[in-house]
Amino acid sequence: MLEVDYNQHKNKSIIHSADLCCRLNSGVYGRMEITMINIEHLWFSYTGMVPYILNDISLEIEDGEYISVIGDNGCGKTTLMRILLGFLKPTMGSISIESKYIGYVPQRNDFTNTNFPITVYEVMNSYHKLLKLKDKAIIMESLKLIGMESFKSSLMGNLSGGQTQKILIARALMGHPQLLILDEPSTGVDVDSQKEIYGLLKDMSLNQKITILAVEHNLEAVFSYSTKIFHLQNGHGHLCSPDMYTTEYLHYKRKD
Amino acid sequence: MLHYGFIQNAIVVSFMISILCPCIGVFLVVRRYSMIGDTLSHSSLAGISLGLLFDKNPIIGAFLFTAFCGALIEFLRNYFRKYTDLILSIILSLSVGIAISIISSGKLHSNAETYMFGSILTVTKADMVTIFILSVISILVIVFLYHPLLYISYDEEATRVTGVKVRLINYVFSILVASSIAASVRIVGVLVLSSMIALPVATAIQLEKGFKITLIASIAISIIDIMTGLFLSYYLNVAPGGFTAIVSVIVLLLVIILKRVGHSVLREIKVHQ
Repeated sequence: MLEVDYNQHKNKSIIHSADLCCRLNSGVYGRMEITMINIEHLWFSYTGMVPYILNDISLEIEDGEYISVIGDNGCGKTTLMRILLGFLKPTMGSISIESKYIGYVPQRNDFTNTNFPITVYEVMNSYHKLLKLKDKAIIMESLKLIGMESFKSSLMGNLSGGQTQKILIARALMGHPQLLILDEPSTGVDVDSQKEIYGLLKDMSLNQKITILAVEHNLEAVFSYSTKIFHLQNGHGHLCSPDMYTTEYLHYKRKD
Repeated sequence: MLHYGFIQNAIVVSFMISILCPCIGVFLVVRRYSMIGDTLSHSSLAGISLGLLFDKNPIIGAFLFTAFCGALIEFLRNYFRKYTDLILSIILSLSVGIAISIISSGKLHSNAETYMFGSILTVTKADMVTIFILSVISILVIVFLYHPLLYISYDEEATRVTGVKVRLINYVFSILVASSIAASVRIVGVLVLSSMIALPVATAIQLEKGFKITLIASIAISIIDIMTGLFLSYYLNVAPGGFTAIVSVIVLLLVIILKRVGHSVLREIKVHQ
């Protein structure tokens, strides 16, 4: 197998992602990393003026990484996530994402109307239509992947927090995303289901090379599952490994 | 009664609106926007008054002005994000203000009161054709936009991720609401129109089924409500709007009672087993 000089391809802007995927699938080259998210000097404020919620954020994330975005309330985590999803436009700076479709798993408490008359199958089927997917079998395959196929006729409002979260993950996976963005995946989920959900996410990032970016409050999950941590503080952010975060940041925090 | 031409017109129109109203209502109720129906039905009165003032078709007037108000609500929703109820007050004030000013000026050549309470006698052939066209177009658009409308109601952000033009569809939906209101105002009247949009859906939701079954059940319940209201109002010689609203509330209460009784019986059976 040929080794690839990764540095040759460091300039991502000149490489077409489809071209890269082709070459990866052909097996001619060995495993080559693709920059999934590239953020350069990102500034954001809702008014377009000072004070900025995000101050000069630069970030490069390779595919297959599991990134947890952490920080105090109001530090800009959700804003950063909404910019990546295209809901907000950056005030300054640039973002490039190497995924045609971004899988999004919203925070369960944000939208769940438990009285909404909708079944699990309807949630999956309508999303399947919105994604303009042709293969109908993917609906049941996605439900099987998370072990929820027997719940297809259940009302969403009758599911537990963990079951709802699994359905939302299965829904996002239907479009074969290369990037999956999750907003606090453990909110309202019991401990056993949390383990299952994080195990599933970790498996996807390791075996299917799906890049995971999760806005997190659950520090236990952050240290157990993520490969890198993006720590946001007062609009400034830095990327580090979980080990580095514990030794550096928590050390300084204790001193304060 | 069926041999009268005006009754035949009224039945055709009632049948169309009993399909159309719940089709719109189901999306409004699950979004918790049922009060938009009430506000826009008052907007239709302003449209009717404008139509009568300029000697134009009042139903078209109702449709145009209500569509304008619906689009204005959608526009202001992005403006007053945290005060959506305030938007309804603004539109309600504007609409009622226009309607009262025109009606009280005494310049109308016909009676606007029939539109307040609804009427069977005044449904003309031209009204029937207008309402039929409005209803058929609206139902076709709903069938075409069924999945995006369902998903925008359920999870707007997840819908945006798929590239669906959420704002555009929301504007189209406000026009659909206007269309259903303009189509229904002749028979059921301004004052109880919102109950026709919300009550059959509220009744169907009691069945605790999926979205499609809830929609089909709400259409069936709506047909029962409106047709019963229509026939009773003919025999008792009262405005159909009033009776339709009363029947809708009775049907809703019956379903709630039957559901409770059913649950208790099931519980008893389980205990004895």
